[in-house]
Amino acid sequence: MKELFPLKQVMGFVFSLVLTAVALLVYFTDMPFAVGMTILLITAFIQAGLQLIVFMHAGETNDKNSIYTNVYYGLLIALITVFGTLLILVWDM
Amino acid sequence: MKVDNSLPLEYSTEENNLKILGFWIFLGAEIMLFATLFAAYFTLENRIGNGPSGAEIFEITPVLVETFLLLSSSFTIGLAIHAMRLGKKKAMMTFFSITLLLGAGFLGFEIYEFIHYVHVGATLQTSAFTAALLTTLGTHGLHVTLGLFWGLFILMQIKKRGLTPETANKSFIFSLYWHFLDIVWIFIFSFIYLKGMM
Repeated sequence: MKELFPLKQVMGFVFSLVLTAVALLVYFTDMPFAVGMTILLITAFIQAGLQLIVFMHAGETNDKNSIYTNVYYGLLIALITVFGTLLILVWDM
Repeated sequence: MKVDNSLPLEYSTEENNLKILGFWIFLGAEIMLFATLFAAYFTLENRIGNGPSGAEIFEITPVLVETFLLLSSSFTIGLAIHAMRLGKKKAMMTFFSITLLLGAGFLGFEIYEFIHYVHVGATLQTSAFTAALLTTLGTHGLHVTLGLFWGLFILMQIKKRGLTPETANKSFIFSLYWHFLDIVWIFIFSFIYLKGMM
């Protein structure tokens, strides 16, 4: 039974719950908007990285470099799309 | 077909390796798809017209339950892949089934949520905000729905054919898809719900 629950994945799950709880502080306590957004950005990106490395086994084969290059490229375009849009349409720069 | 027995079953052939790499490239495109939806949402979230705002319609309880269900299902599909690598078909199928049940639970709550939104007058046509909100949530929900059927069919194949390089490869690729949906949900949870209720 014990071999079915590898420590790495159990810890990954516990950590993801902890990150969710930290993110919830934003809802349950009164804090300035900027502080709240900073907390959310940090917890969300750590959470995503956790899934990628612990659960998705991103780094375990010979294709490791191609996989990471592809994910970083996707992420780069995603960030340019989101922040580029915000910059032009919301922050009016 | 050359089978390399030193590797886990899902990587054991050249074709399997390429399928996994190919799926990662698909996920790269999915990241960009959701980025465009988030970009549209952030642009339109304050354009509420005569409709309600996010703070008025979001409910913390169903959102928390959904988050917990999806996080747990991401954990159990990870355990399913681990059991698969140990060659334990039965344990693998159990974890896989739990994953699909948790996914179905998530979907149930999301459907409840959508009914709630329509009930309080936030439909696809109400305002730019509700349109962007429901499109983003709906695209994620549609992915989960598709995943449920996809997973169910893989589960049936494993029951019928056992753990072969093909079924193991399909299961592993499914697990990548499922973890990806969890990541997207984390961003929805943080930057749509929590940001909206802050």
